[in-house]
Amino acid sequence: MLMRKAPYGSVYPAEGFRAMMGVAVFELPLCVIFLDDGVYTLVKGQDPSALEMKPLGAGFPTLPDVGIKEFYVHDQSLAERGLTAADLVMQARVVSGTEIEKILAGCAAVLPF
Amino acid sequence: MLHTVNKSPLSSDNLQCALRVAAADSPILLLEDGVYAARPGARSEALVVSALRSHPVYALGPDLQARGIDRVIQGIRVIDYDGFVELVEQHTLVPWQ
Repeated sequence: MLMRKAPYGSVYPAEGFRAMMGVAVFELPLCVIFLDDGVYTLVKGQDPSALEMKPLGAGFPTLPDVGIKEFYVHDQSLAERGLTAADLVMQARVVSGTEIEKILAGCAAVLPF
Repeated sequence: MLHTVNKSPLSSDNLQCALRVAAADSPILLLEDGVYAARPGARSEALVVSALRSHPVYALGPDLQARGIDRVIQGIRVIDYDGFVELVEQHTLVPWQ
């Protein structure tokens, strides 16, 4: 699953999360890759209460409990946003674009969110 | 005129487009995903710093808080919804979205 959009400004990251829960129910193997503005979805300290929305970042660290364990974050997407792995709500493997293409090549399907 | 930008500066060129048009001293308001431009350390910081030389730049506080942005580039003024309403009352709105 490719997560490329920032949270709250569009429905994509929330729908991606919902799709991940659906995949977990059917116990299908899934890797989740955060790149471009999608890396903002994992940033610590999100509090959208003033927007009357639920904090999205808080949901992702619970996914390993339902069987989704492969998380990747694009190194360049973090760097160009002034972020490091320490700014994220969960541990994810930091990978290059080339590595991402290799991971995608090993998947049966790619779901963009 | 008040120029509002609601898209992230790293996935859209709306901020650049707004700055090409906005006259000196016209205020720029970052809101929704536009507030990512206020975050220090991103690739877009130079664009914002240069905008601050000729425009007042505002960022909407509740949108910063939602996205975990607890620091903004120096010179950006953080406003709440009342401040947003005041700006809209004072200027004609040009939304870039």
